[in-house]
Amino acid sequence: MSRITTMLKAALLACGLLGASAAGAADVTIGALFPMSGPNASYGDIFGSGANLAAEHANADKLLSGKLSIQYEDSQALPQAGLIGMNKLVNVQKVPYVLSAFTGVSKAISTISSRTRTVAVNGGGVGPDLAELGPYFWNVIPLANVEVRSIIPYLVKERGLKRFVLVYVDDPLGQAIRKEMETTLPGAGGELVQALSVPVTAQQFSGVAARVRSANPDVVYIASYGSQQSQIVKQFRDNGIKQQFASYTAFSIPEINALPEAKGSLYTSQRMDWNSQDPVTKRFVDDYRARHGKLPTAYIANYYNAVRLFALLAHDLESKGLPVTGENLLKQRVETKTFDMVGGKITIDENGTVSMPMQINEIDGQGGKVVSAAEAG
Amino acid sequence: MLLLQLLINGVQAGALYALIAVGFSLIFGSTRIFHFAHGATFTIAAYVFYYVYSLLQLHWLAAVLAATVAAVAFGLAVNRLVYTPIQKHEGSFFTVFVASFGVGIIAQNVCGMLFGRAFVSVDTPLSRSVELLPDLYVSPLSGIAIVIALAFFAGLQAFLMRTHTGMALRALSDNPGLVRAYGLSPQRLSMAVFALGSLLVVPAAVLLAASSGLQPALGHHIMLISLAATIVGGVGSLRGAACAGLLLGLAENLALNWFEPQWSEAVTFIVLFLFILFRPAGFFGRTTVS
Repeated sequence: MSRITTMLKAALLACGLLGASAAGAADVTIGALFPMSGPNASYGDIFGSGANLAAEHANADKLLSGKLSIQYEDSQALPQAGLIGMNKLVNVQKVPYVLSAFTGVSKAISTISSRTRTVAVNGGGVGPDLAELGPYFWNVIPLANVEVRSIIPYLVKERGLKRFVLVYVDDPLGQAIRKEMETTLPGAGGELVQALSVPVTAQQFSGVAARVRSANPDVVYIASYGSQQSQIVKQFRDNGIKQQFASYTAFSIPEINALPEAKGSLYTSQRMDWNSQDPVTKRFVDDYRARHGKLPTAYIANYYNAVRLFALLAHDLESKGLPVTGENLLKQRVETKTFDMVGGKITIDENGTVSMPMQINEIDGQGGKVVSAAEAG
Repeated sequence: MLLLQLLINGVQAGALYALIAVGFSLIFGSTRIFHFAHGATFTIAAYVFYYVYSLLQLHWLAAVLAATVAAVAFGLAVNRLVYTPIQKHEGSFFTVFVASFGVGIIAQNVCGMLFGRAFVSVDTPLSRSVELLPDLYVSPLSGIAIVIALAFFAGLQAFLMRTHTGMALRALSDNPGLVRAYGLSPQRLSMAVFALGSLLVVPAAVLLAASSGLQPALGHHIMLISLAATIVGGVGSLRGAACAGLLLGLAENLALNWFEPQWSEAVTFIVLFLFILFRPAGFFGRTTVS
């Protein structure tokens, strides 16, 4: 009896091992470090909706020999939590490719990315420093310097708004935007009359509103993100600030669009034609709209592109019989350079960044409207 | 004019902080339970108000009533289902604190799941400021916050000084053993303290929901303020906690006249640090409910 039991156990073990090795050889998992709790959690949902759709499309198209899946870790949009998640993804899950978001998190994980030769791809953070994080850190979103350079000429020359107050979150992104404004505004004929930094965790802005009012600007540029930027907008309007608001891609989230106090605000984003007949864009827009009942945003397209980029590179590597490692993904990206993505053909530069035309949007409470197109700064 | 504006903002913020801090201080002073989930009580009250008033579009009184019921029920449930069993098994102060911390995190996530994790705001004309003097903006909510805070403090003071339950609560913070000797039940008094402490956050939660908007992680900030005000005011001193809440609100806002906004929150903790260093017993130097 015990002999039969032993044989059965051995057979079961062998089957298990065979099954595991078959699954492990074919299936590919990539990582994603998104905020899934805390005040920026809504971004995690937004980013994930694009990434998941791309994985579904890649699996439906059988771009890879096995199934592509995404292992999510909660970064809370904080560098420390991001590092913990990155360590888990790289050392435990052994993923070759990680989706990253938020400038602070991206900068924090970039050293692990370089050291372990794991590709990290950012589609949400816009700090200009993200262009300098080494060969294994790529961006599929135009960075903040491009966004600031695009909106300043429009505000100064076309709207006649010359006196700027910048309210920025005190982190690498906000500091980079301040630096860019100080450099760009004088040349464009504008003036930065005051720059007010707020802590990442701040939630009360009635006092800051008083400081803004006393500076008497023509336009208030808000460089924050998540729930905080919504609180800034609401509390500024409630506290008597009637001036024009301007911002960057972070304003493209549904909660800002639905906020009555944000109506009329201007913000930059990469140019996206959702009516394009380009097959990749059309499929993305149609499927997204079918599932969510609304048009996607630039962020969703970026993370779709980030996952699609992986699938295309991994497909090429598998065709060559090469393993899907970070090192090989980098070599393949440098070799291919241009990819069919949502928004058209996208070329990734040597430093891992993309150049794209920009557009200026106005929040109208109904999904936003494009008010001007601008070339990449 | 900027200074006057900041002073008014500071009084409004301070009135709300005082209400929050007094609730926490009352619970901590009477039961010695570090009720970290007090922040969660605040968040729950605010979200229930938002749900009933903004989403169900019922009358604001119904929304306030629903928020009150939710806050008090949550406070009582946490005490009955979490703290009492731990204390029965002679759990240490630290065990209770960790349990409370856990409850706070769970409540935050449940709020996120039920109401969404995005920022939401209660749309009311009362939050919109009017220009009283040139460049001096005051919202009706500022006046309401101050009046409500004063009314609640007066009511609380009368309750503690003139009712049997109030006197028993004061005795509980002094000597629970003696309370038992007089035939009173510390458990029942403890439930009364949690009900009262939770009730006190409701006006602040409603007013903050209307003036600043909501997101599920709001409770952490509330807890920091409560803790700082309790220490600065003197542990267990309700008058001290109220004054400290007001002081912290004023300091946070007045600091903006001289410093960058990013330093205003730090000012709160500089005040806390100075008190710990030079006056560790707090404003009134009491360790009991006064």
